[in-house]
Amino acid sequence: RGDGLEKVTGQARYAADLLLPGMLEGRFLLAGRPHARITRIDASRAESLPGVVAVITQADVPQLRYGSAVKDRTLFADQVVRFEGEVVAAVAARSAETAAAAIELIDVSFEPLPPVTDPETALHPASPLVHPDWHSYSAYDGIVRNGNDCAYVTIAKGDAAAGFAAADHVIEERYTCDQSHPVPIEPHAVVAQWQGEKVTIWSTSQVPFAARSGVAETLQMPESNVRIVVPHLGGGFGGKCEFHFEAHVAALARKAGRPVRVVFTRHDEFVAPDKVNHPIVIDLRTGVTKEGLMTARSARIVMDTGAYASDAPSIAEIATMMAAGPYDIPNLDIVAHTVYTNKTPAGSVRAPSGPQVAWAVEQHTDEVGKRVGLDGYDIRIRNLLEDGDEGPTGQRMKAVGAKGCLEKAASLIDYKKTAESGEGVGLACAWWFSFPAASSVSLKVNTDGSATIVTGAQENGSGAVMGLALIVADELGIDPDRVSILYQDTDAGSWDMGSSGSQTTFNNGRALIAAAVKIRARLLSLAAETMEVSPDDLEIVEGVVRVRGVPATAVSVGDLASRAFGRGELLTAQGDAIVEPLPENFGASCSGRVVFPAFADPTFTCQAVRVAVDRDTGVVRVKELVAAHDFGRVLNPDGARGQVEGGVLHSIGMALTEGSVYREGRQVNPHLLDYKLQTAADAPSIRVDFIETSGATGPRGAKGVGEPPIIAAAGAVGNAITAAAGVRVRHLPMNAPRVWAALNLESEP
Amino acid sequence: MRYPLSLDVNGLVFREEIEPHRTLLSLLRDELGLTGTKEGCDDSECGACMVLVDGRPVNSCSFLALQAGGRSIQTVEGLGVGGVLHPLQTAFLNEGGVQCGFCTPGMLMSAKALLDANPHPTEAQVKRHLGGNLCRCTGYAGIVRAVLSAAGDP
Repeated sequence: RGDGLEKVTGQARYAADLLLPGMLEGRFLLAGRPHARITRIDASRAESLPGVVAVITQADVPQLRYGSAVKDRTLFADQVVRFEGEVVAAVAARSAETAAAAIELIDVSFEPLPPVTDPETALHPASPLVHPDWHSYSAYDGIVRNGNDCAYVTIAKGDAAAGFAAADHVIEERYTCDQSHPVPIEPHAVVAQWQGEKVTIWSTSQVPFAARSGVAETLQMPESNVRIVVPHLGGGFGGKCEFHFEAHVAALARKAGRPVRVVFTRHDEFVAPDKVNHPIVIDLRTGVTKEGLMTARSARIVMDTGAYASDAPSIAEIATMMAAGPYDIPNLDIVAHTVYTNKTPAGSVRAPSGPQVAWAVEQHTDEVGKRVGLDGYDIRIRNLLEDGDEGPTGQRMKAVGAKGCLEKAASLIDYKKTAESGEGVGLACAWWFSFPAASSVSLKVNTDGSATIVTGAQENGSGAVMGLALIVADELGIDPDRVSILYQDTDAGSWDMGSSGSQTTFNNGRALIAAAVKIRARLLSLAAETMEVSPDDLEIVEGVVRVRGVPATAVSVGDLASRAFGRGELLTAQGDAIVEPLPENFGASCSGRVVFPAFADPTFTCQAVRVAVDRDTGVVRVKELVAAHDFGRVLNPDGARGQVEGGVLHSIGMALTEGSVYREGRQVNPHLLDYKLQTAADAPSIRVDFIETSGATGPRGAKGVGEPPIIAAAGAVGNAITAAAGVRVRHLPMNAPRVWAALNLESEP
Repeated sequence: MRYPLSLDVNGLVFREEIEPHRTLLSLLRDELGLTGTKEGCDDSECGACMVLVDGRPVNSCSFLALQAGGRSIQTVEGLGVGGVLHPLQTAFLNEGGVQCGFCTPGMLMSAKALLDANPHPTEAQVKRHLGGNLCRCTGYAGIVRAVLSAAGDP
């Protein structure tokens, strides 16, 4: 990969590595309590500490609310704090130690308010409101809000009552998920420097253009005066999506008159960004015939979205689609509530809501099968979507690889074989969307035959941007090592949605192909002129344009670029992604469907695991995992495999160990000792296979890749635990105490 | 109050003066400008800051700078010699061991400590040895492949 050498030699610079002349160290004062009124802020003791240059609060920034779905928050706490990680003030000082000491000297008087911590209670009309003025907040069109419910979303398909009446059995279950976190190994870091009216902000953002919009909106300046640069990004997994702390640091640097750097501690990384996986309670009810055909499903999903809406209203839309699952169920009645509480806000973590809802639905699917005497394979093969089926919101399905994935995964894990004692095998299926969005790219062929891509796309580490070089290499016949990429700088590339929605290759790849096709045509035309042949007889191979079948008659790409240059022509092109409309769907018969009325070019997967359960301790070990994915056409198999390997282990972590414990509205385990990620020692063997389908609208038939790998494994682990131990654990994470309790107690303690 | 120390980092001797509470990580990054070594948790839990002290892997965020006096420190910047990559660096690139790269420096140093002590580890030994280095991107699959591949590299 193009950025590999600098990453293995320590030369790669990340935001926290940057050092500017005169740079100060910044630090945030966080609320440290879930809900309180601020009666007084006195920063005078902090300001008089030697080495402190600036202290700022909400009084130092424009008084306005922002938010991607609901404009419900301010940069710094405005009279009220609504979660423990809310930023109250910021300090810039000569050293990090001084900044930390100064934070302690800011006197804030808090008057405690009762925290809203349980989303079910919060939905009750008598509940205190997290946002008493919610009705005066603006929000995007089509959102359905009421009190603490900041987005109510439904799917209504067919006639659920009739569907249940036609069923031979109805299975009803409740599943509960704790909050979990994206946990990139690199914590957030932001460096801001003003030059006149312009600010340059080096940030750990997955979405530099959204960050730019956020700074422009909250500090009330034109986007053209805000430049966001992301040096290398140390992972994100959604935790660095949306606009976060860029404006706080920019405002601090402006007041200090010096560049300022803020680097998050791991504690702050757990509590402050508005991007955690939703805690979700999901009630599922499914009707099934004795032959194993699902006739109806109802679901009620309560998503604990924390103190601010962030982008969660659209995630509620996704959650309802995930509750339907990749199945052909003719009658659906699904509702989701997105509920404010006084917790760290939830948002777009990798495949938001996917792993939790699929974990519930896929265990439920096994329970549905069990009721009619079918195993996990047989119940799914009867109900999975196929080409031509009607999706949950009415879209006509195409390029569906769902059954192929199931067959492949079941075969790789030998699903039908009896497991060894103490072990069990489970599988789970899922679907996810691709995300069409505007994207544009510039491509330049240099006079030595090398090429440069200028793109607004953002590399999060997945290799999606690095993979763009392969597309150019393929189209122009040049070595990918001779393709450079200028990326993640908002003053260079065009607007791009960033590293979110698995969209980089899907959209920027299409834009790049459009640009490369133009240059390819120009190269062929120049070569044809030079060699006095028809362009149709030419091919580009290994950096030379040559006559097909006559390899000796050739001219290099570099020579052609030089010749063009000599007569005043540059080989440059702009390409744009053509954004296809979403598939036709039911539209207004479902409430609150704004961003995802349907799933564009859905991807499908089946993941299966073999686990061992220690009955004495409740410890579960995943020994083997297989993953079969339909990504349409796979453009970069090595890159896609890397995405799957990383995603499935993250999913296993969510399944077994990752969960925040809350006490009195605060996380009690906001550090990596008690919030346990999977380690190398825990990692199972992982086998990955692809089921290629054709007809998707991505580049050369590709679908999105980044998010789907994390969705299914947690549910597969749940089913494998049941297969191994005979009990079902309906609380995520299925950690050792919960598995032990399921084995030994009548109910969870 | 600063105290003097001298230490060898990647073969170069440095004489510094530093406060007693400062960590080896802070000395490397902030005083010597060796930012290849990363800080991921400030708490000895993630391994991103791992360096070798007299050949042994140490989380430099939890090791006082003054403790490093008189010792020999190796960081990722010293891994390749004279522009030639260490076999581990090559293997990490070839086997998909690098994605975002933030855990990579600590992971490389941890793996080097293993191969220096045990040139031909089993897969289980590699996984156990890397248990203190967290990675969120790769599922460790490419990293384990890389270490095993480097071990097979004469």
